[in-house]
Amino acid sequence: MIRKRTNRVTGAVALLGVTLAPLSTHAQDPAQMFEMRDRPTLNFYGSPGIVDMPSGEALPDGQFTVGVSHFGGITRNTLTFQATPRISASFRYNGIQDWNSNGFGTYRDRSFDVRFLLHRETRSLPALTLGLQDFAGTGIYAGEYVAATKNFSLRRVPGTIKATGGLGWGRLGSSGAIGAPFGEDRPGFVVGDTGGEPGFDQWFRGDAAPFAGVEWQVNDKLGLKAEYSSDAYLPETRRGVFTRKSRFNFGAEYQVSDAVRLGAYYLYGSELGVNVQVQLNPDRPVSPLRLPAPRPYDIRPSRNANPQAYAADWAVSTEAASTAVRDALIPLLEAEGLTLIEARSTARETEVRFSNERYAASSVAIGRVARAMALVLPASVEVFRIVPVENDLAQSAVVLRRSDLERLELSPDATDALLARTRFDEATPDLAGGAFNEALYPDFAWSIGPYLAPSYFDPDEPVRADVGVKLKLNYKPAPGWVVSGEVRQRLFGNVGDSSRLGQSALPPVRTDGIQYAREGKTALNNLYVSRQWKAGEDVYARVSAGYLERMYGGLSAELLWKPVASRLALGAEANYVKQRDFDQRLGFRDYSVATGHASAYYEFSGGYTGQLDVGRYLAGDYGATVTLEREFDNGWKVGGFFTLTDVSAEEFGEGSFDKGIKLEIPLNWFLGTPDKRTVGTTIRPIQRDGGARVSVPGRLYEQVRSGHRQALEGNWSGVWE
Amino acid sequence: MIARNIAISLALVVALSACSSGNDEAPGLPSVIASSMKSAIAAKRAGRADPVTVTPKMLAETKVAALQVNPERAGGSDFLRRIAQRRDSDGMVTEVWQSSDNAQIFLRNGVLVGTRGVGTDIISSDARATVRAVSTGTSGRGNRLYVLSDGDVTSQDVAFRCVTDNLGLQDIVIVNQVFETILLRESCIGGPSGDVTIRNDFWVHAQSGLVKKSRQWAGPASGYFEMILLKD
Repeated sequence: MIRKRTNRVTGAVALLGVTLAPLSTHAQDPAQMFEMRDRPTLNFYGSPGIVDMPSGEALPDGQFTVGVSHFGGITRNTLTFQATPRISASFRYNGIQDWNSNGFGTYRDRSFDVRFLLHRETRSLPALTLGLQDFAGTGIYAGEYVAATKNFSLRRVPGTIKATGGLGWGRLGSSGAIGAPFGEDRPGFVVGDTGGEPGFDQWFRGDAAPFAGVEWQVNDKLGLKAEYSSDAYLPETRRGVFTRKSRFNFGAEYQVSDAVRLGAYYLYGSELGVNVQVQLNPDRPVSPLRLPAPRPYDIRPSRNANPQAYAADWAVSTEAASTAVRDALIPLLEAEGLTLIEARSTARETEVRFSNERYAASSVAIGRVARAMALVLPASVEVFRIVPVENDLAQSAVVLRRSDLERLELSPDATDALLARTRFDEATPDLAGGAFNEALYPDFAWSIGPYLAPSYFDPDEPVRADVGVKLKLNYKPAPGWVVSGEVRQRLFGNVGDSSRLGQSALPPVRTDGIQYAREGKTALNNLYVSRQWKAGEDVYARVSAGYLERMYGGLSAELLWKPVASRLALGAEANYVKQRDFDQRLGFRDYSVATGHASAYYEFSGGYTGQLDVGRYLAGDYGATVTLEREFDNGWKVGGFFTLTDVSAEEFGEGSFDKGIKLEIPLNWFLGTPDKRTVGTTIRPIQRDGGARVSVPGRLYEQVRSGHRQALEGNWSGVWE
Repeated sequence: MIARNIAISLALVVALSACSSGNDEAPGLPSVIASSMKSAIAAKRAGRADPVTVTPKMLAETKVAALQVNPERAGGSDFLRRIAQRRDSDGMVTEVWQSSDNAQIFLRNGVLVGTRGVGTDIISSDARATVRAVSTGTSGRGNRLYVLSDGDVTSQDVAFRCVTDNLGLQDIVIVNQVFETILLRESCIGGPSGDVTIRNDFWVHAQSGLVKKSRQWAGPASGYFEMILLKD
């Protein structure tokens, strides 16, 4: 979890010596105190830059940008994420019209960039960035650079001026070269190569050429740009995509809103261009969450003033006390969108187990449960054990002292002081002697709604989609048991129209996807029975059987070890699955496989998480998957993964190995109202058969983690909200 | 024919959207963005209401403690009820005032030290120096610390350096009553980049020591609130 609670005392301390003239000329409106000033603008590659050339600056930490640019028949769509304060990564999908080679009229390609900020701008020195553009694709945009950028403000000129100079290699060294400082030999792209692997032997080889540019930010809205480009656009001009008549590019940009910037340009002496730049920051919600104010803590009378209020005789029998507490709490929790599962009370300590269907942050739910407890529990109860439960797995026991809650609620340091006095314990698998909420089982739920199943990057039609109606049924006969199914009726769509049926050297474990799209008009998406339970205080278990996903059915078993306060978790999953018929009814095809992984999960500091899975994949290949993600306290997740197995690049086919990016955004970030749901996607540049995994519903790790120490601490102020 | 089929199918999809026994279906990203834009546009169109002018009759009919709050940025007025009161070990009293739309303001001897349900709330605030200056009616200086919600259940600590000045006696009128007050002005500078300024004004009743009227900062998204103690 990212710790956003930074102590910004330095700014104020620095002013200690200064006379307190409250309204200095540079004084800032507090409404804008958290707005990001001076963030760089994007170039045609969706990276910080001028027009077509990069600059030396980095985006603000965590910034997530979308760039869409077009000129001379070339369109580039780029996602960029500033993963750390110094490292950013981009994924790009581009189309070049009139390319007329390799059988494509319009050539479409995917590419990845990475940038490193080597030096942050200081008073006298510029910002310096090293970048690798298209470092692992088929190499059409391959280029490396170092770029330096310095900001100035001139006395007689309004606004600020940014000056950039740099040196480029590869594509960025193709015009106006000054020699090859690191060797002449730069192997080119070989036709028929599968691509996708880092081009170590190319980087910084061959001719290098200088580029430069200026950006004048005239006022808050308007910016003007001019640059000298070092890109000759040789492949494009040779094929007649456009005619390059000049090395100079010019543009004007307008900041429409805090997030959106539009630009119009004149490029290479012949082409008009446009660039749409969208910049978001996960730490800046589109709609700030507004939670209804909670009930103030009900304060007990002091023991001296009213000793009989502290009498313990109400809880002579734990059973009777637990039942009374349960019955009193059920409606109070329900009013907060929470469900009481079980309660157990003695005269001194009460444990409440509950599930939360409303708040994305468990800390908010815990705070609201504590307030409900303070309202109904007799004064003798001093210890609140609050246990969040997710799909019948008790995540942790948050142990709060009632007197701390009473004393700290309105105190100056409420959040940190309470955290220091809170214990995060293991929750026992079952609550012995507790009073269970009998109304919960059996439980039946259903939903009907539309679905959208997109498919990306078909060279003939980059975005395809199927649209239809889905019906979901969910039956819970007893704690931990689920019977779940989903039926889909496709209404229209074109995923199955693709002519690019898989040709694979491996068993077609995923490249058959188009067949499933073609034949599964009325399809049983999944239908399975699953049981999950806590096998120990730190150990969680799951067994599932049935039609697990649209392409596979079978058996799956999983075990996870994750102590409440541990950053490390270990897991193992074993599956035996059979490939389903293309029509996605009840039948199976011949292919079956035993597949499974041993997994290690780690929560690094700063919100970075890592996962390593080692095992056997769907096509019977052995290998490992590495996943790195950055997770923000508010639930935003951005990450990437790659899988290397004993399948060679030639057997794997285009892309050489499996890789992709993942994005998950909490809904309340958009809506501003409490909501536990998220929207997310996994984008693979290409789906092949190597390194593929079966998609089992209900994997344990994410179910368990939201109530553990790291997650709760990151949102701890929510206990008071 | 095909076009017609598509139109019917589309209508069906729209008609069937979000129908369930529970609420566990995640909608698609486009629909989420569309609805958040819609609410933003609606909020812009709604416009700002003027603060309510309280009449002597309204005041006479008020039987319980009442605080009028006029949010400057959002416009309009609300009348808050006092729902909780806490006396600390140092003798200071913190009060919780509740609005009609389920928001709260925490006042410590009249100094705003917290909000709930307002959005990007002040989770807590260390205002010891200010509270001391306001309760004694004297000038002073000290640090003011805020824990501010970011609107996504995370928070940031923000520090300010403040001076409180006694600007002398001033008569104020609340509805039909005139009060002799001391005007105290707290001026603060600080924030994430050290150049944010905040100014809070307190009109302290000379006779009772109560903050009869104030204009205080209530967080980055809320701006300033004018607060009038109609009845204690």
